[in-house]
This record gives sequence, structure tokens and C-alpha cells, in this order.
Amino acid sequence: MERLIQSLVDGALQGSVLSLAAVGFSLIFGVLGVLNLSHGVLVILGAYLALAARRAFGLDPLVALPGVALVCFVVGYVYQRFLISPAIRRSNLLSSLLVTYGVALVVQNAFALIFSPDNQSVRPDYANAYFRAAGVTVNLLQIVALAASVALIGLLAFVLHRLPLGRTIRATAEQGLAARLCGVDIDGIYAVTFGLAAAFAGAAGVLIGMLFPFAPSSHDNWTIYGFVVVVLGGAGSASGALVGGLLLGIISTLTSAFIGPAYPNAMVFLVLVLMLLVRPNGLLGNAFGGSR
Amino acid sequence: MIVSRRDTIKAAGAASAFALLGAGRAVGQAQKVITFGGSAPMSGKDSDTGLNVLQGYKVAVQYVNEQLGGVKIGDDTYKLDLQIFDDASDPQRATTLVQKQVDGGTDFFLGSFSSAIVLPAAAVTERAKKPTVQAGGGSDQIFTRHFRYMFGMYPRASRQLNSLVAMLQSMNGEVKTCSLVTTNDPYSKTQADGTVESLKAAGIEILDVFRLPPTATDVSGVVNDLRARTPDVLICTTHAEDSALITQQLIATGTNVKLLFLALGPETPSFRANLGKYAEGIVFIQYWEPSYKFSDPYFKSTENYYKYYKSVTDRKESYQTVAASVCITSYIKAMQDAKSVDPEKVRDALAALDYESAYGPVKFTSDGDGDPVLMGAAIGQIQKSGLEVVFPPKIQTAKLIIPNPSWSSR
Repeated sequence: MERLIQSLVDGALQGSVLSLAAVGFSLIFGVLGVLNLSHGVLVILGAYLALAARRAFGLDPLVALPGVALVCFVVGYVYQRFLISPAIRRSNLLSSLLVTYGVALVVQNAFALIFSPDNQSVRPDYANAYFRAAGVTVNLLQIVALAASVALIGLLAFVLHRLPLGRTIRATAEQGLAARLCGVDIDGIYAVTFGLAAAFAGAAGVLIGMLFPFAPSSHDNWTIYGFVVVVLGGAGSASGALVGGLLLGIISTLTSAFIGPAYPNAMVFLVLVLMLLVRPNGLLGNAFGGSR
Repeated sequence: MIVSRRDTIKAAGAASAFALLGAGRAVGQAQKVITFGGSAPMSGKDSDTGLNVLQGYKVAVQYVNEQLGGVKIGDDTYKLDLQIFDDASDPQRATTLVQKQVDGGTDFFLGSFSSAIVLPAAAVTERAKKPTVQAGGGSDQIFTRHFRYMFGMYPRASRQLNSLVAMLQSMNGEVKTCSLVTTNDPYSKTQADGTVESLKAAGIEILDVFRLPPTATDVSGVVNDLRARTPDVLICTTHAEDSALITQQLIATGTNVKLLFLALGPETPSFRANLGKYAEGIVFIQYWEPSYKFSDPYFKSTENYYKYYKSVTDRKESYQTVAASVCITSYIKAMQDAKSVDPEKVRDALAALDYESAYGPVKFTSDGDGDPVLMGAAIGQIQKSGLEVVFPPKIQTAKLIIPNPSWSSR
């Protein structure tokens, strides 16, 4: 029983970070229809910015987090406005696949040039504090990461559902043409949405850099996890990303505990295939799919 | 047309100058070059250690060309040329690159890093009958396929931890139980399988063998099991990234063992820097130490090699760097022994090599891997932020610290 509870707790803690890392991927896919293959790069950018802030100013990664998110927002905004958007305009949506894949490769090598290909970590000393209760061991940093993830995803849900900007984003996602006829600057909204997604990816990257070792090539994993979370939870909504991420985390830890540590990836992709067959829109469906 | 005497002299002068310049160029072209081809992970998941291997190759080539002025083989003097391309830690890309170089006429190859890359690339060079000397692949599969042209600077993986088991056995019963964590890749898996057999033969109980997928991002399940059934010694036959992940999660959950062994990772400075004080006491394979005192026909001695290495690069040395450098000088030794740069003759001379280098003795088994006794690993331990040799006793630089203090008391 202890083993089951420990696995569920580990899965939920790990899943919350996966949710935060994937929510941007989900937002971009849901609103812009773009499958951002460079999403993992934005996550790793967050980790490297936290590393740079620590090296240059001795900043604690959690203190650096808002600044990192802001920088990533600007990077995402510029990236969409001046690279992805023109590529789609001149060709079609599929060209965004090539562009984002190409950017991922270029940026990966740029990271290697600037920071070296070595494994890095931005783990402060307090990251190793833990407590035990009822036979279950919990790392304090994971609790902090869970709180930060839930707070940030809650903030995104608030923005999307309560603020005029969120209403505009949802309106643009549901009916771009109608939104344009109502005077919405579609290109601007797309860029802001991409910027928001990048900010969330960057914030997740800071937490990931504290929890796991990372290297320029680590971005692949986070792009794949983004895709899995979208398929499991559904695209375009904060709640979908949260559910998808938690599911992914719990499936991984339960598989590791009860089948074997060699099989979490196999099980995750098995569930992914089943989900695509049975419920292709994910558990919570595409937030904007119905009216498209 | 009237041709004046002055025109004739001008023309003759120009022709002479042209002939002299041409002759000069011809002399320049007579400089013979030996090209070493291959690939290395300069990016991707294995680049951390891959760059160590590449740096070793580069330093040796630079030393031979600049310090020795080339090498004399038979009656000719040769300069060395290195043509190593980035395989991005991708076996498929590596085989494509190597095949391209085989097709382009390259005769001698150096290995990439990680058995998963070295193994398929070896099949390409074997088919083409071109020798490969490498310091990046130790899987048994590389050395049990009866390849004739493949030579490795380490004993095969299943024999690599014999010295670790001998060390544990020598502790008068202090170590009774072990658990292993390994990844499902050709090197790690065979290393773990060989270690399991050695531990059984030594009478040490094995509690668990955990097998991770090649790209693990979370090992919390393994760590939970280790907390429930804690061994005296945890042996991780994992690559650097997985080693770092396992160690971080052990620390983060206060999971303590008497001794933690990591096959790859601790030899890289970035690994030790990231872990800081928590790296203390970690035990690892120590193939080489700058303090070793070996003579070398090219670098003169280990000390001289190390001095030169530090003078030309900022990248911190590791056993992979010096092993890679000695891949180059072993080629040269074999060429000089064979008095030829014919790949077939060089291959035979490599197979017969038996000499002392800056890295240590070099002698290959009939399967091409390093002799398990002469080229076997020592065991190192991180002590006071430095790397110490703790086994075997005859080259020991410090005593093994066991049990390690708990993570929380560091």
C-alpha cells in the first residue's frame, strides 16, 4: 500500500511539472494550430537563463523565475511574429513544422556553443530537503514545483477565462475570420499567445533545471512530453494540460513501480496510441475544436 | 612579329620563375599525410564524454605535427590529419559519415564515443577492411563478433568491473549486499551482466538489478525500491546523464548507501561541479591518473603528456582523453613496426602491439579489446574534491572511505 501511495505522490509531483512544461505546447496547438517542435527548446532556454542568472548575479532560480518568464515571452512573441507567421503566410501551416524543427536544431547547437554540451544543473542546496510522513518520502522542492505549477496554470486559466485578453484569444481560436471582422488584430493575438506559451515553458524550464540535470539535447524529451500531454488531456486549455500532465506522471511512476523501471516510456506511448484510437481529442477535448 | 632580346630574357625569366614556383609547390605536395577519419558526438546526449575523446585525438595529432615534426614511417615522413565529424550522438548518422569516408578513400579510423555508436560503425569499417582504434566503446558485442579490424583501449564491458568486485571482496565482509542500476544500451547492459556474474562468484548477495530505458527522465521508482531494500553498495553502470539523475534523486530523498559506484560521470568536471559537496565519496572507474608514471615512445612520459595537454587546451583531462591520444600514437607505433601505411599490414601490427604508453600498457586481446589485466581499470574515489586511486593497492593514492557519510551530514 505504501508503495502505491508513494508512486501516486511521486507521479502527481512529477506530473505537475510536466503539465506546466506542456501547457504552452497545448495553447499554441489549440489556438494557432501549430505543432511547435521547438517547444522543448523554450523549456531548456528557461533552464539555461536561470543558470546564466545564477552565474552572473548569484540569483536563486526561484527569484529569477519571473524574469526568465518575461524574457521567454519576448523571445516567443518575436519568434512567432517574425519567423513562424511569415512562413505560414507564404506557404501553409505545415511549413511551421519545418521551421520549428529547424529552429530547434539551430538553438540546440547554439546552447552547446555558449554553455558547452556538458550536463548542467541549477539545483540550490535547499532543493535536497525532504520529509517523511506515513511511510511516504517527499522532496520539498517537488512540493514547491507543484505549488508553482498549479499557481501558474491557475493564472493562465484566469487570464483565458476572466480577462479581455483571454476572451480575445479564445475568440480568435474559435473563429479567426469572425474575430478579424470584429476588429481583432489576429497576428498580434497569435504572437501574444505564442509569447505566453513561451513564458510558461521558460518558467517550467527553471523548475526542471532545479529538479533534473539538463543539456542542450534534453529539449527532445520536453517536446515529446508536450505532445503526449496534449493527446492525453486535450488541446488548448489549462485544465487539459493539467490533467494530461498528471496522468503522464502517474502512469510513469506506477509502471516503474509495478511493472519495471524499463517500461514507463513504453506504457506511456501505449496509452497514447489507445487514446488516439478511442478519444482523439483527449480527455477534456479540444477547447476550441467544436466551433472550427 | 619581331622578338627582341629583352623580350626573350623576360620570357625566359618568367618561365624560370614559374618553373621554380611550380617545383616549390611540387615539393610542398610531396609532404605525405596520414588521415584519420571517423566521427564523435560533438552534440547530443553523449557529447559530454564525446568531447573528451575528441580532445584526446586533437591533442595527439597536434603534438605529433608540431612537437615531433611528423612521423617517420619507412623512408617517408608523414604529417597527421584528423577528419572527425559530428555524429550528434546518433548511430545512424555516425555510420553514414564513416561510410562516406570509406568511400572517399580514408584508410584509418578512430572510434566515436558510446558502444551504441561504435558498434554499427565498426561493421562499416570491418566490411571495408579498414582498421579502427577507439577509446569510446566497451560493449562485449563489439569484441565478440570476430571483427579483425577493431581495437579498443578498454577491456570488454563484462570484464571492466572485475577490479571493483575484487575491491569489495577484499573488505573482509564489510560489503555483503549490492544492487545494480543499468540502462538498456549495449555498453551498460553487458557491463552489468558481467558484474552480476563476478559478484556472484565473489559471494556477494545481489538484492536487485534495475534496468532503465535508454532515455530515463525519472528514477523515483528505483529510488523508492532502494530505500525499501537498501544494499551496502549501489553499482550504477550508467552514462553521465543517468548517473547525475540517479545521484540527484538519491540525495533529494535522503536515500543513503555505504558506497555509491557510478561507471560514467564522476570523471567529468561538470558532473562534480554540479553535485558539489555531494560528489564526495562517490566511487568510479579510474583508468588513468596524471600522477601515473609510464614511459611513452612519443610523449616521453605520462607527466610530459599531461604537461603538454594542459598547455594546449582548457578542457579538463579525463581517462578518455589520454586513451584517445594513445589511439593515435598506437597507430603510429604499429605503422612504424610494420614500416608501412598499408591498412592490412598496420592491422597486423596493431594486433601484435605490446608497449608502454602515457596511458599505460597497450596490448590487445585476440578479439581486439584491451587486455583485462594489463589494461584493466583501477577504482577511483572523489575525496576532498580531487580524484584519488583507491584500488588496487600497488597504485593506491588514498585509502577508500567507507561507509560514506549520509547525504544530510555533508
